[in-house]
Amino acid sequence: MTDRQIQANPFLNREVSWLEFNRRVLEEAEDPKNPILERIRFFCIFHSNLDEFFMVRVASLMRLIHDGDSTPDSAGLTPYQQLELIREMVRDLEQASYSLYNDKLLPALAKAKLRILAGESLTVSHQKHLDEYFESEVYPVLTPVAIDASHPFPHLANLSFNLAVLLVSEKKGDSERRLAIVQQPGRIPALCRVPDGDELQFCWLSEVIRRNVSRLFSGYKVLEVAGFRLTRDAELELDDEGAVDYVRMLESELRKRRIGRPIRLELEEPMTVELRELLRARLGVEESSVLTVRGPLDPRPLLRLAEMQGFDHLRFSPQPPLLQPVFRQERNIFDIVREADVLLHHPYESFDPVIEFVEAAAEDPDVLAIKQTLYRISGAGSPVLRALIRAAESGKQVTVLVELTARFDEEGNIGWARTLEEAGAHVLYGLAGLKVHAKITLVIRRELAGIRRYIHLGTGNYNERTARVYADFGILTAADDFGADASGLFNAITGYSEPPEFHRLTMAPAGMREKIISLIRREADRAKSGQHSGIIAKMNSLVDPLIIQELCAASNAGVSIQLSVRGVCCLRPGLPGFSENIRVISVVDRYLEHSRAFVFKNGGDTEVYLSSADWMPRNLDKRVELMFPVVDESSKQRVIGALQAQFADNQKARLLLPDGGYKRITPGRSEPLRVQEYLYQRIQEEHYRAVSVTPVRFEPIEGSGA
Amino acid sequence: MPAPVTTILSAIDIGSSAIRMDIAEVRPDGSIHLLDSLKKGVQLGKDAFTQGWLSEESIRAACAALRDFKKVMDSYGVARYRAVATSAVRESTNSDTFLDRVLMSTGLDVEVIDGPEENRLTYIAVLESLRGMPELENAQALLVEIGGGSTDVTLLRAGEPLQSGTFPLGSIRLREAMNHASRTHEQQIRLLKRQIGNLLTNIKRSIPMKDASCYIAVGGEVRFVGKVLPGTARDGAPCVVSRDAFAEFADSVARLTVEALVQKYSLSYLDAETLTPALLAVLQLLKETQSPNVIISGASIRAGMLQDLAPEEKGKRRKQLTKQILSAARSLGRKYQYDENHAERVRELAEVLFDELKAEHGLDETDRLYLQVAALLHDIGLFINPRSHHKHSYYLVSTSDLFGLRRRELEIIANVARYHRRALPQRGHTAYMSLDRDERVVVSKLAAILRVANTLDKGQLQKATDLKLSREGDQLVLVAQNVSDLTMERVALAGRCDLFNEVFGKKLTLREAAKTA
Repeated sequence: MTDRQIQANPFLNREVSWLEFNRRVLEEAEDPKNPILERIRFFCIFHSNLDEFFMVRVASLMRLIHDGDSTPDSAGLTPYQQLELIREMVRDLEQASYSLYNDKLLPALAKAKLRILAGESLTVSHQKHLDEYFESEVYPVLTPVAIDASHPFPHLANLSFNLAVLLVSEKKGDSERRLAIVQQPGRIPALCRVPDGDELQFCWLSEVIRRNVSRLFSGYKVLEVAGFRLTRDAELELDDEGAVDYVRMLESELRKRRIGRPIRLELEEPMTVELRELLRARLGVEESSVLTVRGPLDPRPLLRLAEMQGFDHLRFSPQPPLLQPVFRQERNIFDIVREADVLLHHPYESFDPVIEFVEAAAEDPDVLAIKQTLYRISGAGSPVLRALIRAAESGKQVTVLVELTARFDEEGNIGWARTLEEAGAHVLYGLAGLKVHAKITLVIRRELAGIRRYIHLGTGNYNERTARVYADFGILTAADDFGADASGLFNAITGYSEPPEFHRLTMAPAGMREKIISLIRREADRAKSGQHSGIIAKMNSLVDPLIIQELCAASNAGVSIQLSVRGVCCLRPGLPGFSENIRVISVVDRYLEHSRAFVFKNGGDTEVYLSSADWMPRNLDKRVELMFPVVDESSKQRVIGALQAQFADNQKARLLLPDGGYKRITPGRSEPLRVQEYLYQRIQEEHYRAVSVTPVRFEPIEGSGA
Repeated sequence: MPAPVTTILSAIDIGSSAIRMDIAEVRPDGSIHLLDSLKKGVQLGKDAFTQGWLSEESIRAACAALRDFKKVMDSYGVARYRAVATSAVRESTNSDTFLDRVLMSTGLDVEVIDGPEENRLTYIAVLESLRGMPELENAQALLVEIGGGSTDVTLLRAGEPLQSGTFPLGSIRLREAMNHASRTHEQQIRLLKRQIGNLLTNIKRSIPMKDASCYIAVGGEVRFVGKVLPGTARDGAPCVVSRDAFAEFADSVARLTVEALVQKYSLSYLDAETLTPALLAVLQLLKETQSPNVIISGASIRAGMLQDLAPEEKGKRRKQLTKQILSAARSLGRKYQYDENHAERVRELAEVLFDELKAEHGLDETDRLYLQVAALLHDIGLFINPRSHHKHSYYLVSTSDLFGLRRRELEIIANVARYHRRALPQRGHTAYMSLDRDERVVVSKLAAILRVANTLDKGQLQKATDLKLSREGDQLVLVAQNVSDLTMERVALAGRCDLFNEVFGKKLTLREAAKTA
């Protein structure tokens, strides 16, 4: 393949684009302008992202290669070519990340009086403390396994950290070298505190075990100890937040054979060739899947450090969520929503009104029914969940569609769903073949004027914790047509009825792609007839080939297209004859840019949509998703303003280049603007103005005898 | 908080290819506001029209769907509901089992309705949805609803039903008939057209449609046309498609196989199967009329049921319905060349007698309507032969379709008409004995009145309202004002008040009022 062919293809490879995204995360860890604990957090995210990428994407490519599938992707790369490209990029990224860790992050932490000790930096008193810790806490829970003919290789949990030990007997005449495995226990913190004056010091648990490993093998001499980690194919998929989840598939023999196949073997440096080869052969890992690193194999425990209480001066300055003025009064939330639609922009604006909405519905005696989809909640303590349980207990009809996730399954944490059922709620655990990713709540309330329906629709989950770090939109409305659609949607996803014809909502998999394409085509038609046209769209990922083709066609028709795609973008922008009028940026900053919002200029009659779905085949074909218009004029303007601000960012925004790489956008001569700070300030000002223009209301108290 | 003033209603319709439910509320101003609309495909028609009974699988699916619907009803706090089943259940031999299974598993009491009732409900809904359309104001209009099992045809004049009928021309029925043959698609379509043509001959015989200048079509398949043809779709409102455009579209659909239809319009296989038969039937009926276009109404029998359930509407509807039924009866009378003057006078006399005798007979408004219809139609048997014409009247009434009246009701009316002369009701008469006891009592009382009314029309009484009833001991005396000599009537009455005396246990006599000038 020549460069010329790549140039003429409007598609970028998905995996490469994803690695580019993770590079941007690593850049944030590198950026010395970010506070050190935030840099550590980005560093951890980079690594956990990468772990999941291997478990999901690399595993799936290896499956294709194993099955002999050499069909090229839209970018023209076969699975094997993609894998080669990935390995090369990952090697570079890993190397860069560990250089960063050793040369920049550790010293910066030390400067902030946070030290991670190892080897010669441990003083005698440190050593004494750690050895005592080993004896009392660690030793009792270790199960070393020597590998020989009678002891097969133990099952190593996916991504668990293990020590490989090379042993030789102290008995004379027995010079056979043996391999033993020590699995690092999951229940003990992987990073232990080491007391030392007023400084906070830590040591890796692996270091503690390594120091005392000979205690485990009496009668043997320890020749070498080194850490390793194995990644297996678990047939997982990534959700939109980058978390892993099971693929819902029918059990098959083929699948059983595939599960557990090794994908990646990470080894700690230094390691002798002898130990490395012994391990690799025992685990059945190909040479090309082995990766050697100089640093902690699993840096994710550092997150604990980044999230430690106190040390706020080492983090981004706080931006406490703002409560919209309309919610500051002591008023019934239904009265507020009935008066006018409410647009919520999290995390700048508080998620409390959403919780209040569900809680009020649970308490209100006039509410007949509550129906909600729960994709990711914060667990059994979720206030939304507790409100739903109360509502069901008080005899209201509660229907909840729950999507259980891999994480929940693993933790056996589905108890809360059962509690909900026991309270009398109708709980549905997903749909056959489709995951319900739409975020919608419907409250049916009986009022004097008749039945009224209140609806919350969002781009993010009903999770008050992630709502503090994910940038998402939500709307609260009592509009009739939304209400009718919401009822129809729940009738459809509960299987009570066939999907209705919607007035306002667009649902995937029934026609969302078609709707998006028709909206794009309409812009192209507007442009061709000389009318005002333009598309601004924001999402997590842009992968769908059909939509990309339509975007290119619109670009060719003269539509100006601005895309803010945080993660994977398979559209190659700025390609003459394909995508000259398309500009793609990505904002990676303190909040996860999670909202999906689309603006279509439509000849001056601008339409604004919000959605739970990214423009990916998976979302459009295999998920129940929703797209809904923002009808209220002031809400529309707020969404448009927030989207335009993305393109004004010159601090945390990157521009996607025609070659698939990204370039940070710099202020040049203009004022520096960081969209996630700018929006917070702007919303604060808006709220302030709204309060200052609201007249004081004098409400006389009616006497009963009057 | 005061009690809410709206009423929540639910209408369930168990059809041939789907079970549907509408939930609506009646606002204080009487307007009906749709809240929720559910549809679940259940192939009852496939069973009913091929094997004649509902399979266990279909019954289960129907019960499951209705259980779900019940949950939705509960979530709104539905105050009143009506659940009806149409031709698929009606024509199944195990319909009783089906109804009981539904009742036991869902608590829903389902009523099997017949063609005329279906017609009436559709009519109510269509009229509501077309309110104010100029096309309907004066002209004759043909209202056609193609169902899975049958087609309802109603001829309207100035919005009032003249004639109506239910015919075994249904999309699923047609499709099932075609399925037996393994022919090419073209041959199948030709066969389909021929079948529709045969059925059309029957429809034309009972409903003249050549003067209709307006054509209204109802049903899922025609609604689909409204959605697909460009520029026609209007949310909820009726839409108008020109005759040519409709014909062109129906033909283009007929050219495609079911698989191609599924592909092209992303229809479900079920919906695609019935599309061609239904559209061709609508088209052939259209061609019998003068109408330049097809008005596609989104109305459903559920909308009609909701109108019926709405409390504010009940009284008004009753009156309107009575008027419509009488006008349908008159048009049936005209068809059999009845003596309109005689018929109307007998009706008036019967009304007066009925009202004056309220204390004696204890019957209600519905029975009064039966009497009115029987009075209008009692002599239509003369069309066949004056000899035994009362028996011919029975036959003609009981086998006609009369808008707004169910089969059972027509049977009562036909019996009343039969006993307007000659023999009294007796156990040997099978048609009479086929009624249950209460119905037989009604027939006897109404026939007694009709016999009297019929004898009184000898040209002397100027106005029926000149009659007053006076109770004198165990005698009932009809006192006629403004008449000088009623000898003829008195003689006739003496011979015809046999049934009256027997039923009411009182002797009826006739007397001229004393002149008080």
